[in-house]
Amino acid sequence: MEENRKLLEVKDLKVSFFTPAGEVKAVNGISYSLGYNEVMGIVGESGSGKSVEAYSIIGLLQSPGKVTGGSILFEGENVLEYDAEKMRQFRGNKVSMIFQNPMTCLNPVYTIGNQLMEALTCHDKSISKEQAKARAIQMLELVGINNAAKRVDQYPHEFSGGMRQRAMIAMALICEPKLLIADEPTTALDVTIQAQILELMKDLQKKENTSIIFITHNLGVVAEICDRVSVMYAGHIVEQGLVQDIFYRPQHPYTKGLIASTPRLDEEDQERLVPIEGTPIDLLNPPKGCNFGPRCKNCMKICLREKPPYADLGEGHISACWLHFMKQKSGKTALAGKENAANE
Amino acid sequence: MTGYIIKRIIVAILTLLVIMTVTFLLMNAIPGSPFLTEKSTPEMIARANAKYGLDKPLYVQLWNYIKSYLKGDLGTSLKMQEGTPVSTIIFHQGKFELSLKLGLYALLLAVVLGIPLGCIAAYNRGTWIDGFLRVVTTVGVAIPTFVLATLLLVTFAVKLQWLPTVSGSLTTWKAYVMPVISLSFYYLCYVAKLTRTSMLDAINQDYIRTARAKGVKTRSVILKHALRNSLIPVITYLGPVMAGIITGSFVVESTFSIPGLGKYFVQSVLNRDYPVIMATTVVLSALVIIMNLVVDIAYKIVDPRITLTSKEA
Amino acid sequence: MDGKFAKISPFQVDPDKIPQNFDLNEEDFMPAEEAEKASMVEKHKSVSYWKDAWRRFRKNTVSMVALAIFLVCLLFAFLGPKLIPYSYGDQYRSSQKLGPMEYSENEQTALSIADSCDGFFATSLQPGSMNAIKKGDYYVQHGGKTYAFTLKKAVEKSILILKADAEPALFVVKEKDIKDGQYEKIQELELTDTPVEGAKEIKLVKTVFPHVFGTDSAGRDIMARTMYGARVSILIGIVAALIVLVIGSIYGAISGLAGGAVDFVMMRIVELIYSIPEVLIVLLLQVVLKDPLQAWFDSGTSAFAQAMGDLGSGIVSIFITFALLYWVTMARIVRGQVLQLKKQEYVTAATALGASNGRIIRRHLLPNCVGALVITTCLQIPSAIFLESFLSFLGLGVSAPMASLGSLCSDALETISLYPYRLVFPGVILTVIVLTLNLVGDGLRDALDPRLKK
Repeated sequence: MEENRKLLEVKDLKVSFFTPAGEVKAVNGISYSLGYNEVMGIVGESGSGKSVEAYSIIGLLQSPGKVTGGSILFEGENVLEYDAEKMRQFRGNKVSMIFQNPMTCLNPVYTIGNQLMEALTCHDKSISKEQAKARAIQMLELVGINNAAKRVDQYPHEFSGGMRQRAMIAMALICEPKLLIADEPTTALDVTIQAQILELMKDLQKKENTSIIFITHNLGVVAEICDRVSVMYAGHIVEQGLVQDIFYRPQHPYTKGLIASTPRLDEEDQERLVPIEGTPIDLLNPPKGCNFGPRCKNCMKICLREKPPYADLGEGHISACWLHFMKQKSGKTALAGKENAANE
Repeated sequence: MTGYIIKRIIVAILTLLVIMTVTFLLMNAIPGSPFLTEKSTPEMIARANAKYGLDKPLYVQLWNYIKSYLKGDLGTSLKMQEGTPVSTIIFHQGKFELSLKLGLYALLLAVVLGIPLGCIAAYNRGTWIDGFLRVVTTVGVAIPTFVLATLLLVTFAVKLQWLPTVSGSLTTWKAYVMPVISLSFYYLCYVAKLTRTSMLDAINQDYIRTARAKGVKTRSVILKHALRNSLIPVITYLGPVMAGIITGSFVVESTFSIPGLGKYFVQSVLNRDYPVIMATTVVLSALVIIMNLVVDIAYKIVDPRITLTSKEA
Repeated sequence: MDGKFAKISPFQVDPDKIPQNFDLNEEDFMPAEEAEKASMVEKHKSVSYWKDAWRRFRKNTVSMVALAIFLVCLLFAFLGPKLIPYSYGDQYRSSQKLGPMEYSENEQTALSIADSCDGFFATSLQPGSMNAIKKGDYYVQHGGKTYAFTLKKAVEKSILILKADAEPALFVVKEKDIKDGQYEKIQELELTDTPVEGAKEIKLVKTVFPHVFGTDSAGRDIMARTMYGARVSILIGIVAALIVLVIGSIYGAISGLAGGAVDFVMMRIVELIYSIPEVLIVLLLQVVLKDPLQAWFDSGTSAFAQAMGDLGSGIVSIFITFALLYWVTMARIVRGQVLQLKKQEYVTAATALGASNGRIIRRHLLPNCVGALVITTCLQIPSAIFLESFLSFLGLGVSAPMASLGSLCSDALETISLYPYRLVFPGVILTVIVLTLNLVGDGLRDALDPRLKK
């Protein structure tokens, strides 16, 4: 019952940036859904549209960015139809967001407590100052900040990077939102701090029953925390599935390339890292066919002419590649034809 | 904090000493003698020089200046109001008061009007309001004070006769209007431009995105989060504003016939009334230096990241 | 369907899996050529820093318009004086206190007969004291021919008129006498190839050039003076900005590169100069420098002193003032840039890659510094023009017979309630020059410093 109800459904979302040089289709028709209490990872390289997509959910898209199509249903309501005031009440209250750089995301001229309390009071006018402060201290303790009663009156510059990100998380969760969007929350942090923050987010997700959309380019982080993964390339979701499917049975050549280019310590045979050749496409002039085509080792003529449709690979595992439309050969997946192609 | 202020005061005193020395050397480099007139004989000049200690070596003269200034004695006028103590001329004949009033009102106008105008422009970026304000402020920082002052005078005093041509001792509000506007217009426009730029800069900062993501109201995002951060460069600019307003007062006081300190300074330079030149320079410089100190302390209030300890710098 | 995919190589296409809406054949599943792949990727042309900056500047409409207007101001100031028949110093006796586009009585007279003759020469419209043509030999060139004549008595306050029909003749008119276009012939003209030795040429005109901005109380053409003043102001601005650029960059670069105690001392000096209210010192300097500079000019020992003497003590002391006090901002900016660049990672990287110091300065430091230098210098010009006009307005800058926009405004002040346009013209030109330079500077900042762009 609960399983079937979706918290968030994104359908055919299109976002464009209208720059002087022309329309940049940053997000070009993506669809996915997110259940209650689920952690979805969105992976992709810089410029793949993963952050843009998240900003459009929370209504933070800045001019010249504009949603040009599709819908975003949050508990059945299309948030794209919200007016400014409704969107404001929605932000921070139902959905909140944490960002990449904790060093610049907190206002330097106000105390941490002030900024935490503001998140609370701007959605609930009735709450008293003392209550808000008590809640702020409680949240700081929850995210593992020692001596929270004193820390609450300090300024951001008195906090370290990791602590600031903790404070950001506390601020994001203070209104008990149903969805937390984390936009590369660990990228700017030291590796050890990264691990701590991830651990904290995992804990909090269980404690608070929050769904999370976790945006990152770091596959290791995805494996750590996510239930499902969407892989984005140039404004499209190229592959989507459960985390184990994506990691152990990747189907799309881009996903494969991404995994092959990530160092892994858990594998016994330490393969060489294989970089993905070429550079991401120019979104101002996207190719006619598959966006990944020009960089793909298995690229076929059709790939340069037609965008590949999704192939359903079972258990919600989908992938958009023409290779999936070929006969399987002796038990191997179609993609195994890669070697042939290379030898040819 | 206290340590910092003490340090700043010591630096301020040192700066004033340097200014005194430079001024002293410069005014002694002006050829001729203050007592040189058509009728004066060399003996008369020598007698006058001896009377005012101008026959002593330069370093002795300078030392005498410094000694008497430390005692709060600014000397006596040589020429313009011969024999009158300079402190009386500056402080008790309303000159300092007039200039200070004029300057403070101009400063106040620049800040009180400039900052909101800058905010309005930034808030309405890209609209006709922003466009209009940008045109006005851009033109405003290109009009020299004397052109504006004269044009105001011709239009409102001579042609329309709404306002007096001679502002004199600023006894009525009407007398203030044109001098204050012409003195502050440039700075008003500059402050508005600066506020707009730093406001837009602040609006693009990550913490503004955070505030919006929290669901803070747009007005509150602007007034609480963006404004305070964008005030920092504006405050920095207030030091130069004070110096600039003193400069402008030379022109404005002469255009509107206000017997202030600025006008008196120009006259004292042309008349070579050494003690008056020295005292006016020191008083006006002190005003600018004090303003700079106030600005630095105001910093601390706006931006908690700045720590005013004596260790700094 | 099946037949289409009969030949299967190298991939096996499963036709059943292909969505219905695609009409494909096996050819489509052949591996793509590298060239085909490459053709799909738009090639990015890499553009140089300056080209890119120029492209950005060109897109900035406001700055381009400002640049165009500033160029018009430059033409006005530098080419304009050659196009109008008046010069900044000449006094036209009959044309005092004219309003914009007004003609004096004499000029009206001259214009009224212009149609009925081939050309005229009006003594009263000539500058200075030359209100009569003296006795002697003259020649006139007209229609490719040279006419000579000898004046037997001086002609005063008159208009000489040439009619070159059948018998070329010279007429003279007393200005007051002209009523109905009647005037008396004074002399036949003699057609000649070479005028006699020592003959003076008289240039005939067909029309009177209007005093576009009017004239001042001494009969000087205000437009000519404004053009001249604009030229002086612009030159002062540019030279002062260059002085600041040179002194500021050298000081700042030394301070930044030396670091340590040297830097500390040098920066304390900068701070000190910074906290001095310059204008007080500037005013003193102006008065102080006036006589010694004059003495130096008069001694005229070197070519340099003479060149400076031509400029006058007012302008030279403005330059000295800038050299003494106004370089501190530039020094701070340059030092800041040098310090910042010293610790830039790409500089470290270049060093690590074994690039020589010269190469680092050429390839990395200079291009990164130049932007800031250009912007600051460009914005320094209007501020120098401002200071000069301020000093001239107080009567301390350029001195007569020279003019700057500031001194013109100052001159206009005495008669401001009667002739406000005498202030308006130079005032507006001054404002336009400062305004356009500011806008061009802003445009340069946007174009040269991409980091400032959102």
